[in-house]
Amino acid sequence: MNTLLRLTVANMKSLVRDRAALFWTFFFPVMFVLLFGVLFSGSGDSKVSVGFVDQDGTAVSTQVHQAFAAVPILSLQTGTLDDEKAAMQRGDVSAVIVIPKGLGEAVGKSMAGQKASSALQLYVDLSKSQTTQVIQGIVTQITNGFNLQLAGGSAVVGVDQQTLQSTNISTVAYLVPSILAMALMQLGVFAAVPLVQQREKGILKRIGATPLARWKLVGSNVLLRLVVAAVDAVLILGIGIAVFNVQIVGNVLAIGGLVFLGAGAFLALGFMLASFLKTEEQATGVVQVVQMPLMFLSGIFFPFDFMPSFLRTVARFLPLTYLGDALRQVMVNGTQIAPLGVDVAILAGWLVVCLAISARSFSWE
Amino acid sequence: MTQDGEPVIGVANLCKCYGDVKAVDGVSFTVGRGEVFGMLGPNGAGKTTTIEILEGLREPDSGAVTVFGMDVTRHAPSIKQRIGVQLQTVSLYPRLTVTELLDLFGSFYEHRLPTKQLIDAVDLGERARARSMNLSGGQQQRLSIALALVNDPELIFLDEPTTGLDPQARRSLWDLVKGLQARGKSVMLTTHYMEEAAELCDRVAIMDHGHILEMGTVPELIGRRFKERAVFFDTTPMLPADQLGKLQGVTRAAQEDGQTVLYSSDVAGTIGTLLALADDLKVEPHNLGIRQATLEDVFLDLTGRALRD
Repeated sequence: MNTLLRLTVANMKSLVRDRAALFWTFFFPVMFVLLFGVLFSGSGDSKVSVGFVDQDGTAVSTQVHQAFAAVPILSLQTGTLDDEKAAMQRGDVSAVIVIPKGLGEAVGKSMAGQKASSALQLYVDLSKSQTTQVIQGIVTQITNGFNLQLAGGSAVVGVDQQTLQSTNISTVAYLVPSILAMALMQLGVFAAVPLVQQREKGILKRIGATPLARWKLVGSNVLLRLVVAAVDAVLILGIGIAVFNVQIVGNVLAIGGLVFLGAGAFLALGFMLASFLKTEEQATGVVQVVQMPLMFLSGIFFPFDFMPSFLRTVARFLPLTYLGDALRQVMVNGTQIAPLGVDVAILAGWLVVCLAISARSFSWE
Repeated sequence: MTQDGEPVIGVANLCKCYGDVKAVDGVSFTVGRGEVFGMLGPNGAGKTTTIEILEGLREPDSGAVTVFGMDVTRHAPSIKQRIGVQLQTVSLYPRLTVTELLDLFGSFYEHRLPTKQLIDAVDLGERARARSMNLSGGQQQRLSIALALVNDPELIFLDEPTTGLDPQARRSLWDLVKGLQARGKSVMLTTHYMEEAAELCDRVAIMDHGHILEMGTVPELIGRRFKERAVFFDTTPMLPADQLGKLQGVTRAAQEDGQTVLYSSDVAGTIGTLLALADDLKVEPHNLGIRQATLEDVFLDLTGRALRD
């Protein structure tokens, strides 16, 4: 077996046999997802808020309104089309139903035996397919019932579906990519600790006395962390999908690429920290000092728009903001803080700069 | 021992500074094939720096350093294939087992010995599946020797191999080193312990403040400095030091670890006059004894301090 692989396996065994390390690398993010998922997915989801716009203003349109209002899981909010579309974009409502002018007239004509038709307009967000399917189902049922009642089944009232991207996604859908970003950040930054430990204990030096090439020593560390990143991603996304019904829309390659880029960028940060830290105690302390602000100031747990402006300014300097942003964009069509290309460029920049600094300052003993 | 053919280690005028501190200052020596060579000195003497330069872990500032006739800075990779290294720090991947560690380190080398053979050689058969963190100090030290032997090296570096071990574990380690020498290996070791150097080393270099003060076989080193034997007893404050120096046959009087040592060319005369002096002063010297001068005495004489300070 290749020495690089052997060394990676050795590092892996060391990790798996260290209960504390195991907890922080795998169970902590999983716990986070479960905890936040339960906290934020409970109450809000039982009723679906829908915007209702009546542009017709006839007796017929009032009847339609009543029919929708009678559906128990819908919570109707009436207003003008512009208001309701804006509400949907903000995420206050999940869909908008519009009764266009002329519906009453068309129904009147068809009752008089004339051929006439009109269509409800339905604005939905296809990326939130669960809610959208429910609403589509309800709308279809109600219009079918109407048609049956009016004209024995001929399609007088149809549905004209339009899509509208809602900018706000459900809290859990927002949190799952965020927690993945957090886990990737932690696995990278925390990698400084075993490295400092191995240096302090002389393990790096002892291996330096063998013919093993140093890049293999570094490479095995990187390989180990990338494996951990993949496992973390599968665990977190798996729980998000299986337990909290989060819809993942992006393709696997893009997600995988981002996971490895993110892990790489923070791993480089971890290596850089390890270059300047001498003792294990120092390392554990400094790693906390670095990861805490990253975690709480990066707009990964609080939507960016809700943050006070000075915090937003701080967050714009932190790499975790961009990893969270990129993952949300690719995974759940989240609101973008920066274009995806900018996110990727910033992460790649961090990776290169931290790696260059580590290469200059890392000491093996 | 015999130095046939080219020496395995050649060091000429080696210097290494850390900032303003001259850790190694103009050191020269050679080690022959099959020889056990010891470097003796207190902490900070420059032993570890010297040995780490030979192992290819540090670069010399100046001087010619060769191992197997090859320059250490230019041929480090091929030298590393043929040497075995045991460092002062023992712990290695605490959560890996003895077998796993030996397999892992073996994989770093082109040529390697079977793990089973290595485990038997250091008598760790019963602990083969134990994680290294759970080994006793002596077992960890034996493991680190086994790791140093994993590539069946021609030359083995042992940096303070018995520091912190109990006497029994130290003995068993000495047997191991003697076994290596019997198999024709060359060994370079550093130590604080005089008995260890005397027991194991064909030749010894005494180092302090970056210099080699004296070098040779143990009897040579003692013989060069001490023609006398030592009369020692528990220090009695009632016996004035200036009078002790004037006793018959005494060439020098010294205080070591609560004992008074009188180096004497006439032991019988010294003891006779000492007892007479004590009788006059109505005191009795306790634990009175005679011994040959040791390496410890040589060291004290050379550096003016005891080794373990």
